[in-house]
Amino acid sequence: MSQAGTSGESALTPEVKGVIGATGEKIEASLPWGVEREGLRIFTQAIMDPDPRYWDDDFAKTTKYGQIITPPIYCTYLGRRARPGSEDPVTRAFEENPESDGIGGVRTPEEKGGLPDVPTSLKRILNAGNEIEVRQYPKIGDHIFSQARYSNIRESVAKDGARMLIVTTETTYTNQDGAVLCILRASQIRR
Amino acid sequence: MRTAEELRDKKQLYFDDVSVGQQLPPLVIGPLTPTHLFRWSAAIENWHRIHYDQSFAIYHEGLPNVLAQGSWKQSILPRYLKDLCLPDGWPWKVTFQHRAMIVPGDTVTVWGTVTNKFEEEGMGFVELDVGMRLQYDVESCPGKATIVLPLKNGKPIPYPFVPPKKLATK
Repeated sequence: MSQAGTSGESALTPEVKGVIGATGEKIEASLPWGVEREGLRIFTQAIMDPDPRYWDDDFAKTTKYGQIITPPIYCTYLGRRARPGSEDPVTRAFEENPESDGIGGVRTPEEKGGLPDVPTSLKRILNAGNEIEVRQYPKIGDHIFSQARYSNIRESVAKDGARMLIVTTETTYTNQDGAVLCILRASQIRR
Repeated sequence: MRTAEELRDKKQLYFDDVSVGQQLPPLVIGPLTPTHLFRWSAAIENWHRIHYDQSFAIYHEGLPNVLAQGSWKQSILPRYLKDLCLPDGWPWKVTFQHRAMIVPGDTVTVWGTVTNKFEEEGMGFVELDVGMRLQYDVESCPGKATIVLPLKNGKPIPYPFVPPKKLATK
């Protein structure tokens, strides 16, 4: 692994370049019963969006969508939910560390659908911004699948001369028919 | 905030009706409370304590208060664009960065200003500067967006939306 940062060496090593394009397994993001109304109600109330396209069947039939839809990026949150029968991530987090920040049980790269670690000594991670592209709204009963890949990794130099990596992960969400619903491109600074 | 009835009866914004420099109708949310943040954490099962455990946020993490989630902001911007496009336009894409923290007591004004417009394959593409401005005039989530609006007497925006080849990113 390279010792990049302030050493003057490029952080964009051959090993780092080697993971560009790495693609995770396609996994089902939705729970086994697919997109359902109660989860949709909880989500839309949490974003304070009372749009009847999310709950009024009669009205939804009159729209161009012809049925109940979900918010533009609803599908990107489905994979965060603990699957029934799985180990409780909250209990696990606090068993591992009583002072846990509460996210000790989140998915790790070794888990299903994850990507390999970027082989760099740059450990500090900052959010560099996101892009969301919406193609289609999920509908009730849909099964949502996600697949992540490193779409780009480039080098940048900070004002203090430190070399950084900008790592962009593109996650594509599709439905049971393979239709693209939404693409999320999340960029992180590694420095 | 917009009501269900306002969204049900929303009149179409047409490509012909927007011009560069135009400020689109804002969406005002707030003042936010710790309960709003807790509700979002529960909705998406984000158990990071900085969003709902005030003692942890302040005394362990050194933050001024519990913080609004980046994921919440990430959901509000597309919701705003969706509202602008109703009933027949399309909120195609948005990019943004997380800047100033949002904490309980803050009121957020989601805004959009037209920066460019062009036609492609009979559809009206409108580029926007967007953001989520706090009550003390600090920008929390600056970004750019592209929405697709129908032309008066033009063809409907197809659904599912497929971007023109010239503009497609994938």
